[in-house]
Amino acid sequence: MKDDFYIGYQDQSPPSLARSTRRLVVALAMIVAGITALVAARQSPAEPGTFEFGVKRSFEGVLQENPLPMLRSVSPDGAVTNYLLVGAGKHGLPAFARGHDGQRVRFQGTVIQKGPGVLVELNDPESFLVLGPSTAAENRAADKSIGEVVLTGELVDTKCYFGVMRPATGKVHRACAVRCLSGGVPPGLLVRDDQGGAVVVLLSGPNARPLRFDVAWAARRVRAEGRLTWRGSFPCLEVVRLSLADSELP
Amino acid sequence: MSTTYRAIDWNRQKRVYDGTLGGLLALGLGLFVGISVLVSPNITVETLLIRGSSVSALLLLHVILCIGPLARLNPRFLPLLYNRRHLGVTLFLLALLHGAFATVQFHALGDENPLVSVLTAYGRDYRVFADGRINLPHFPFEPFGVLALFLFFLMAATSHDFWLRNLGASFWKAMHLGVYLAYGSVLVHVALGVLQSERGAIFPGLLAVGFVVVAGLHLAAARKETRIDRGKPLGEADGYAETCRVEDVAEGRGKVVLVAGQRIALFRHQGRIHATSNVCRHQGGPVGEGRIVDGCITCPWHGWNYQPEDGCSPPPFTEVLETYDTRIQDGRVWVRTIANPPRQHCAGTAVTAT
Ligand code: HEM
Ligand code: FES
Repeated sequence: MKDDFYIGYQDQSPPSLARSTRRLVVALAMIVAGITALVAARQSPAEPGTFEFGVKRSFEGVLQENPLPMLRSVSPDGAVTNYLLVGAGKHGLPAFARGHDGQRVRFQGTVIQKGPGVLVELNDPESFLVLGPSTAAENRAADKSIGEVVLTGELVDTKCYFGVMRPATGKVHRACAVRCLSGGVPPGLLVRDDQGGAVVVLLSGPNARPLRFDVAWAARRVRAEGRLTWRGSFPCLEVVRLSLADSELP
Repeated sequence: MSTTYRAIDWNRQKRVYDGTLGGLLALGLGLFVGISVLVSPNITVETLLIRGSSVSALLLLHVILCIGPLARLNPRFLPLLYNRRHLGVTLFLLALLHGAFATVQFHALGDENPLVSVLTAYGRDYRVFADGRINLPHFPFEPFGVLALFLFFLMAATSHDFWLRNLGASFWKAMHLGVYLAYGSVLVHVALGVLQSERGAIFPGLLAVGFVVVAGLHLAAARKETRIDRGKPLGEADGYAETCRVEDVAEGRGKVVLVAGQRIALFRHQGRIHATSNVCRHQGGPVGEGRIVDGCITCPWHGWNYQPEDGCSPPPFTEVLETYDTRIQDGRVWVRTIANPPRQHCAGTAVTAT
């Protein structure tokens, strides 16, 4: 019996103890495997979306700074694409791209995409070129007005939502959304329907100004009232009234 | 029984222990990453790292918390306890990986220092009452992670015996009881964080099971201890207290008894009964649950040695355990209620055939 007393600094553990220790380790391995497998299997699946981190593409078009920073690009065949523009990290349109409203520009940037919505991260100041004033054809508004609506949903930051972050919504992401919105990333309203569908509506203020709002409302349910317009693949709401939804605390 | 800060001896058992720990970690992380990629193909490397490290850290924390009481309940678990320090340091490294990646992912490259943002991004969420309602679902969860990480750091950084020495055993012990505060903090971190976003009963269920296992084992171990303490009072006469029967102390073995409200370790070595304090000078392990090995009382936790005749650790070590005079009367061991002066030689009491 003296055998099965364990002394850690000895080189060998007594054989009977070694056997029972091996059994313990096997049991522990089964517990570890079972629990990690269960937790991994039951996490809710990450949303789709791509962030072409480290990849740069060339873009050319008309820069629109307000109310939402966008690039309108007209391809040779006349197709118009609107890109929503953000800065590197947790920032909105960078300083080097500001002050060129309505001008033709060319730059290199990184694509962030979810579904039909494409964002471009402007992360290369050297590549940014102002080519001159835009043509009348480029300026023809291709927006489609829908009308007055009242929408309720989660206030999100568009950069994370369209592909940079998983999760990009809810409480675990709230602090990040606060940082991004406070850094000037355009706000969006994540509206869900009963069928599990979801769409993000870009939010702007009245009179072609950016939306003024409290970043502490990030990741909270808010109610937005205003005029809805499709600009390319982005639904945009010119907000006249914004409040926390009734279900939320102040 | 190192008295200086020196490189830790590496022996085969330590290598086996660390190898097993590494293997179990690789198993858990591998399964987590593999299954996550299957069920959630859009998951990013950052999220895999953040979640993989936190889930392994939480599992490891439960193992660490269970080993103590399990070893009190059954000596078969003692081999897991010996290098528990390695588990604590590994836990800290996993928690650091998780905390650092979460801080970078959710706070870096913004308009505020990430280390500040971790605490301040939540703004008014810190108000427990808002508008007459309780704000718990919105209460910030990351600061609880920060607190836990800080505590894990303190414990990992001071886990070497050098610090046990230099900080003093009782301060060191008190600080390392911080593991319970850290555990509570992690539970709140998860309950206010990921449980507010993830739906379904499986995560709260697992946390609850974990808590019940940890708490249950601690209660069971405490019950076993108090059973010794609550033993019915036996005789006391001229400064000696009656304890167990002589046969209860086998040759080469120890037994924990109660003397004047204090746990005392009895040992029988070469036919003589010796009594010492039950509290190991190292980390307070239960000396009386140890054995005599090579003529020395040997603590079951980390194998510190004391000579039965004077309570001194064999040279060159300098630890001293209190010893108590004994006598045998009507087949029972009596122990003097006052300890001998330190290092005093005390031959013990010979057991005569009965
Ligand atoms: C600086 C300290 C910490 C920060 C900033 C932090 C932050 C976070 C964040 C943001 C999440 C949600 C991540 C997600 O769902 O993708 C999370 C979850 C979690 N944290 Fe922490 N944490 C910290 C420390 C800790 C510590 C010390 C532990 C202890 C083991 C821990 C355990 C967990 C667990 C188990 C989860 C749920 C699983 C997961 O989503 O990763 N955290 N933490
Ligand atoms: S407590 Fe560590 S050897 Fe006794």
